Amino acid sequence: MFAYVVRRLFQMVPLLLAASFVIFALLALQPGDPLDEVRMQNPRITAEQLAALRKAYGLDDPIHIRYAKWLTRALQGDLGYSRTYGIPAAEYIFEQRLPRTLLLSGLALLLALLVSIPVGVFSAVRQYTLADYTITFLAFIGLSIPNFFLGILLLYLFAVRLPELIPGFPQFPTGGVPPFLFEEVRQGLVSLGTFLGLWAWHLILPVVVLSTSSMAEWTRFMRASLLEVLSQDYIRTARAKGLAERVVLYKHALRNALIPIVTLVGLAIPGVMSGAVLTETVFSYPGMGRAIFDALVEKDYSVAMAALAFLALMVALFNLLADLAYALVDPRIRYS
Amino acid sequence: MRQAMVPLSEQRTFWKAFWRRFRRHRLAMASLAVIAFMLLVALLAPWIAPYDPFAQPRGEDFGERIFSPPSREHPLGTDDLGRDVLSRLMYGARISLLVGFSVATSSVLVGLLLGALAGYYAGRPLRFYLGPLRREKEGFYPWSFALWRVFSWFLYYGVLFLLFQMFLGVTEMGREAGSLGAQVFFWISMAFLLFAALWGLRGEIRLDLDTAISRLIDFMLAIPTLPLLLVLSALLRDPRVPVGQWAQDVLGDAASVFIIIAILVLFGWLTPARIVRGTILSLREQDYVTAAQALGASDSRILFRHLIPNALAPLIVLATLQVGYAILVESGLSFLGFGIQPPVATWGNMLANAQEYIFTAPWLALPPGFMIFITVLAFNFVGDGLRDALDPRSRL
Repeated sequence: MFAYVVRRLFQMVPLLLAASFVIFALLALQPGDPLDEVRMQNPRITAEQLAALRKAYGLDDPIHIRYAKWLTRALQGDLGYSRTYGIPAAEYIFEQRLPRTLLLSGLALLLALLVSIPVGVFSAVRQYTLADYTITFLAFIGLSIPNFFLGILLLYLFAVRLPELIPGFPQFPTGGVPPFLFEEVRQGLVSLGTFLGLWAWHLILPVVVLSTSSMAEWTRFMRASLLEVLSQDYIRTARAKGLAERVVLYKHALRNALIPIVTLVGLAIPGVMSGAVLTETVFSYPGMGRAIFDALVEKDYSVAMAALAFLALMVALFNLLADLAYALVDPRIRYS
Repeated sequence: MRQAMVPLSEQRTFWKAFWRRFRRHRLAMASLAVIAFMLLVALLAPWIAPYDPFAQPRGEDFGERIFSPPSREHPLGTDDLGRDVLSRLMYGARISLLVGFSVATSSVLVGLLLGALAGYYAGRPLRFYLGPLRREKEGFYPWSFALWRVFSWFLYYGVLFLLFQMFLGVTEMGREAGSLGAQVFFWISMAFLLFAALWGLRGEIRLDLDTAISRLIDFMLAIPTLPLLLVLSALLRDPRVPVGQWAQDVLGDAASVFIIIAILVLFGWLTPARIVRGTILSLREQDYVTAAQALGASDSRILFRHLIPNALAPLIVLATLQVGYAILVESGLSFLGFGIQPPVATWGNMLANAQEYIFTAPWLALPPGFMIFITVLAFNFVGDGLRDALDPRSRL
């Protein structure tokens, strides 16, 4: 097992090098360079000064050399400066944006899991009943509704229309997030309840929107997986032994039916991290996805590069983790 | 001969059985009707649309004709520039369906080809690189390989040269920073390059086509998709980039549509290729393939006449689902402003526009969002029906 993990980690190295090189090249090829801004701020700058700056920034080098330099610095923890915010890109991405995204997508994944597993089990146990058909139909709707459309719809309903129609209906915020008031809470200036309530208030709608598609997909998957397990011989044996249906279902069937879900969830985690761009845009939630989007619009390439390279690393790591978790929950699988 | 007595009408062909099973899926049948209706509207848009989708009102009453709520004159109202929403919706259907169908067919075709090659040639190593000084044991190899061999020398030593430049750049950077490690790094990297160059003279790299394609798929999957779609789209549709320039010249306003299709295909072929590869891997061990080989059938005949037709069923399902998925992603990109550019109307960019005015003109958001939703839902249901009808055992 240990040897397997080490081998997989070594295989990740060329993969990540290639991926980061492609991302770097695509960003470096984007038109407009960092000196455009200098030119805008100081129209009287001479061509010689610009040339000197180009040389100092290393913008004359071919892309592969610039990549080598970026990689060397990145490995030492220096990911460059954000042009828009004037702070190190690493600080901007990992300290300001990542925690918020982890909060949002973590809660969304949790909600999706908490709903999809019981609902999927229920649907499978009641196969071909009205309840099953309704759940399957709803799952199709969840899969098909565009994230951003659902977001706009909920915003309109809960932040605009319903508070207007029903007096006293709580008005949901239209977007944004409250600050992390850890220090104020510690000093007792703000009560913990207020702090958590404030966050919950802002997070409910985006979390629901972000979790819909995973929820729908996993419900369908859970249902199919459990149905397949329930049709196997050992379940018939368990029933023939006279075990209670509850024991057959939860001790025998569900455990095996959950195995494929583990992989699915593991593989979904990095996707949720990067795929939150749309939800974050609708709710003006300042997370990673939005940071990448803004960086591309503002041509803040150190930030875009840092975030994209980090996401690539996450994808590779969670692929490995999903495989390992698969071996952990399914003793039939052994890696060597 | 009792079999001959069976009446002709009861003979079942594969497609008849398929149609019989598909018809039982009521939602899929209804969805088929919805899709047919959408296609009809999209095709006939120039004749049935009540207004020109790009026409903006001129004159003194401009202020009254923008943001007009749904009325008899404009069934779905007008937008911020006074354009008729219903007409724009009809023209948007053309773009969305065009993108959906072309992305699905192209990515399934590419995936089919690459997946079939990977699956069929798995385990048969290709000689990817053969050093200039290495003597080949068998005396004969085809002319095309000799050409490839020379090409591969350039490839190999070209990469080494690029690495050499990269190492030099890093060393120089380290020296400027006064780092002690720079010298050590320089000598280690030069030793590595020297070794690689010497090895390349007599070395040999055997590459399995399957390994190459599977690695490529793994690599593409390791890149975060949605952000990369944004990066690519920003790059390709910029007129200052050669590709963007070329697309603008040749296609005009349609350039962004073409570019979005190309980008979505770039990431769309991965899943079909994986599925085809798996199917072909198991199919090629079947007896009928051995029989065909024994009869002297060529590789391409076995692939195209025996293997691919048998791998098509799951692909048809996948293609249907991909139409819906492509429409979803296209509208998402257009919503972010990185997809199809105005004035071309698509459901995605109409919705992006509508979000800005959600408080003042909420009727703008509902129609385009609802159209995306209904279309994607219809394709998902048809896909489900096809799966039930074509191969009931797969879960995809």
